[in-house]
Amino acid sequence: MSDDRDSSRLDGDGVLRQRPVYTESQVIMTTVKAVIPFVMTYGLYITFHGADTPGGGFQGGAIIASVFLMIAFAFGIESTRAWLSNTVVVGLGSAGVLAFAAIGFGPVVLGGNFLDYTAYYPVFGSVLGLKEYEFVKYGMEGVEILGIAFIVSGILMGLFFALAAGYSAEVEETVATSGDPRDGADSARLEEPND
Amino acid sequence: MDDGGGAPMISSLAPVVGTVDAAPVLQSVGITPIEIALFVFVLLTAIMTALFRDVLAGIVIFAAYSLGLALIYTFYRAPDVGLTEAAIGAGVTTVFLLLTIAKTTRPPTDRLFAPISWPAVAVCGGFALVVGSTLTAFPAVGDPMSPILQNSEVTGYYLANAYDETGVKNAVTAVLAAYRGFDTFGEAIVVFAAGVASLLVLNREVFTHE
Amino acid sequence: MTDIVSLLTTRHAYVLFVLLSTIGLYILMADENLVKKIIGLNMFQTGVFLFFVTSAYRVGGSAPVLENGGPYVSPLPQVIVLTAIVVGISLTAVGLALTIRLYNEYGTLRVDALREVIGDE
Repeated sequence: MSDDRDSSRLDGDGVLRQRPVYTESQVIMTTVKAVIPFVMTYGLYITFHGADTPGGGFQGGAIIASVFLMIAFAFGIESTRAWLSNTVVVGLGSAGVLAFAAIGFGPVVLGGNFLDYTAYYPVFGSVLGLKEYEFVKYGMEGVEILGIAFIVSGILMGLFFALAAGYSAEVEETVATSGDPRDGADSARLEEPND
Repeated sequence: MDDGGGAPMISSLAPVVGTVDAAPVLQSVGITPIEIALFVFVLLTAIMTALFRDVLAGIVIFAAYSLGLALIYTFYRAPDVGLTEAAIGAGVTTVFLLLTIAKTTRPPTDRLFAPISWPAVAVCGGFALVVGSTLTAFPAVGDPMSPILQNSEVTGYYLANAYDETGVKNAVTAVLAAYRGFDTFGEAIVVFAAGVASLLVLNREVFTHE
Repeated sequence: MTDIVSLLTTRHAYVLFVLLSTIGLYILMADENLVKKIIGLNMFQTGVFLFFVTSAYRVGGSAPVLENGGPYVSPLPQVIVLTAIVVGISLTAVGLALTIRLYNEYGTLRVDALREVIGDE
């Protein structure tokens, strides 16, 4: 059933399938090259100033992710992913979750409740010279910038690259020939019996 | 929705009588021309999204619909929500939808409008009637006397004490990250879980099989 | 008749919420294409967000940035909608990944064709 789907551009319905062919467009490349520094600055501004003006981690993270989406549109999705390297994307998402959890569980370690920023004050108040309510402010900023903005930007970029990579049956065959037992119902090309 | 005039109307209705719990006087605050324009734009784009047969046309008009909604949110004094809707709704959702039809297919269309399915119209009409019958119980849009704005224990408390207790001026950020930080943590984990789930579904360890 | 007119002029945004949710529900039910069903689901969600933001609005109020004095709109429904928008995009992304996988397995995006193909197996 899937044999001729990868060799020709007509699928089972006889419909011409769209394939993401990268065509170089001078207009898009020039526009993106001119615009992305400003959009990146704007995204960082919205993230950092989310405490005093409208904004915050969600909006800033989405705008920063859109910078890399624009680069991918201008210069090709595969080459952008190779330049960005999977480590950066996965690392951003995971580091955000870990930072949020660390800032949240710190007070539990120090004897307070989860996400109770004022529990940092007895221990770090004299060391950092901050008043009690300022710990709340810096805890919030840390959660917003190091937590939410990282997570949202990393995961949105990761979702973009995952959806662009799609699903291809060659992955199934490569994994199956390496001896990894899987449900055989997925791939129509599987020759070897599963263990 | 036409009030027949060009100026905003502020008029007060007769007090709501007959309720035992002594509801305060509800004021009618009217509809302004900019609201009419935005509402008409959003409704038109929504109906066109439903009617156009081509998926690509539906996606592009849906992006315009998201932009119209972001403008409505900004008009209703919710700039955070407007920013988020514009960045995520009009931006990222459109990109993901376009990627999907690039990786799958865009079915060819011979007619412009999709056929209307009358059973679905009947069910949706029933839904609209059921929800619409509750409309008289809502306070007027923007009424300063509505229960949510008069509440001094939740809304009034956060507006009065957010700057003293947290040191930030944006009340939405204060509630999001300090007062209700637990929900934000759950939401961040949901976003992370969505990333992991999409990798699971597409059978990848990371984004290619390298 | 004047009742309906007064309803439309005082609770106009709630009427829009009902209409948008209905149109989103119609797209979700009536259209055969999976991608359009996901668009309909998104439209339904945005209708509900409009309901929340409208319930927080106050005529003559200002955005909840505590700078100048004066009456503010309520910040709490806006917090709910912020979280809900981001959860909505996560939902959409997973749905689209499932759509891509379904297309690769069965070769079609139409729900009625999928029903036949899966029913035959």
